[in-house]
Amino acid sequence: MKGDNIYEPIKAKVLEVIDESPTIKSFVLEPERQFYFKTGQFIEVALDGIGEAPFTPSSSPLVTNQLEVTVMKTGYVTEKMHQMKGGETVGIRGPFGRGYPLEKLYDKEVLVLGGGCGFAPLRSLLYNLEAEQEKVQKVTFCYGSKNPQECIYEPYINELRQYKKFEVMRTVDEADETWTEEVGVATVLLDKIDVNIDNSVAVVVGPPIMMKFSVQKLLEMGYTDQKIYLSMEKNMSCAVGKCGHCMMGEYFVCKDGPVFRYDEIKDKPDIWK
Amino acid sequence: MLTQIHIFFILLCENYNNIMNNYHSISRQEWEKALSHLINNYHIYAPVPWGETQDYERIDDDSISDIIYNRPKPATPLKTFFLPIRENVVNTEKSDKKRIIMGIPSCDLSGINIFDEMYLDDAFVDPTYKKKREDSILIGTDCHTTQENCHCTTYGIKPYPMKNHDLTLSLSGDTIYLQTHSAKGETLIEEIEKITTLQDPTENEIQEIVDTREKVEEELNTKNRDLPNYRVTGDLINSSEDEIWKKYSETCVSCGACATICPTCTCFLLLEKPGFEKVRHLDACQYPGFEKVAAGEDPLEELYKRFRNRYMCKYVWKPKKFESIACTGCGRCIEACIGNINKNELFLELANK
Ligand code: SF4
Ligand code: FES
Repeated sequence: MKGDNIYEPIKAKVLEVIDESPTIKSFVLEPERQFYFKTGQFIEVALDGIGEAPFTPSSSPLVTNQLEVTVMKTGYVTEKMHQMKGGETVGIRGPFGRGYPLEKLYDKEVLVLGGGCGFAPLRSLLYNLEAEQEKVQKVTFCYGSKNPQECIYEPYINELRQYKKFEVMRTVDEADETWTEEVGVATVLLDKIDVNIDNSVAVVVGPPIMMKFSVQKLLEMGYTDQKIYLSMEKNMSCAVGKCGHCMMGEYFVCKDGPVFRYDEIKDKPDIWK
Repeated sequence: MLTQIHIFFILLCENYNNIMNNYHSISRQEWEKALSHLINNYHIYAPVPWGETQDYERIDDDSISDIIYNRPKPATPLKTFFLPIRENVVNTEKSDKKRIIMGIPSCDLSGINIFDEMYLDDAFVDPTYKKKREDSILIGTDCHTTQENCHCTTYGIKPYPMKNHDLTLSLSGDTIYLQTHSAKGETLIEEIEKITTLQDPTENEIQEIVDTREKVEEELNTKNRDLPNYRVTGDLINSSEDEIWKKYSETCVSCGACATICPTCTCFLLLEKPGFEKVRHLDACQYPGFEKVAAGEDPLEELYKRFRNRYMCKYVWKPKKFESIACTGCGRCIEACIGNINKNELFLELANK
């Protein structure tokens, strides 16, 4: 944070804009100074005079001179972001909140389940796990998307498939003639995976409906509440536990989350909305 | 060797001495003279008549004699001094003078607790709030009368200042009694002593202040004896069914008056101003879309859920997370509601089920 003001962003230059899909773009940002975050923590990106929105960086937390956010066009701020071409200056505040519990993943068979743009925050986790491969048993990454055009990070998928400890499975709701992998909603992949559930921890990020059905399925498969982690998306404004917009029961998602263990939140009202 | 019990007694005696010594008295006329001097160095705010009601105004020489003493309560809560309707939180306004805020009822002073806990939280100190707190001298007031909906004592708050005040003020006949509670308060007393002479009240006079306090407290206890206390209210709300919220929200129009006027509602919205500045606006979970996300999901889409949310927040969730209570029993939300919704009727109905 610049000076002492939690509301004042530091500046970052947009170095590059990458088209990931018809609705998703990535923005490579160069902050005015080194920027540290833990995987799963989020930042606020401010467009000057326009608005601010929260994003979990999709880049590696081990890189500190640049960071990347991957943004789906869903609202006013994201629409304006999609009009950027590179060279612009944005503001960033953060990092905020509690990220993925890396230490809980060590020595485990990690199941990573992503839906749609939920791959973005998970890519940062995958980068982190890739760098620490020796610490985990294996990583199974299941990714579901609407259609082949909306499948993001193709090159990274291919890279991950090279690693012995990584298994990658993908599915789309609607396939076309080019598609050679699974077809159906993200949870169909769970029938195909080969993990030792007793020694596994699952991390799920995606649209609410996808997270809801994934959790149901994981519980049926034998995962306990304590072994499922979710990254929650809520309306946010301040990101520092004051404005109240992100409240979910007694939690401030911005501060206590965004990553929660399922048993922490399962009784809170309307968690899938 | 000093045992813990000894130390306890010493502290107790010291406290007691303090209580005896920290009273000062002054005639109303001399007090007004002192205020007129202090206006040169401070911005002084105090409750003055506002038609049928009263509210805080910046005091000048002409309005000093209009100040209302010991009669609750200003229409707006104390929080508006620290969380104004709108303010730039990056390019902050610099004030040339510190503020003295007078006439603050105990409920409003206690309402600041939750703000201090949230806004001065170690991890993220809110700089604008902190500065405003530091630059304000708070003069609390003993409530000598009560309003129809006052129910502070139900939630453990006395009708005389308990916390966050630098001085307490009590007017009896034509004499003003001041009691100091902090270093800031003492400094102000010293300043007043440079302008005029302060007296030491007699034991009888002090006893009279204490008696009045107890009388008003008793009055409130009697008046509100059927209302469930803070904790019980939380339990009742937590285990309630949807029906009662649907029933009581029938006349709610989502205007947010209850939250705006509430001394403990802390929510706001940040808006961007060119130059990477941020303007903070008071906000309320009663407005549609408060929790809506860009992708469209909205946990508080239905009106009755928004209506219930405010009570869940105050009596169930905030108590799980914070020490400070999130309802002070000031009754303003009852008076402000254009739909005539009375939360205490709702709680009594829950309690009697
Ligand atoms: S609620 Fe209590 S403290 Fe507040 S104005 Fe009424 S009597 Fe005074
Ligand atoms: S975003 Fe403001 S409290 Fe969480």
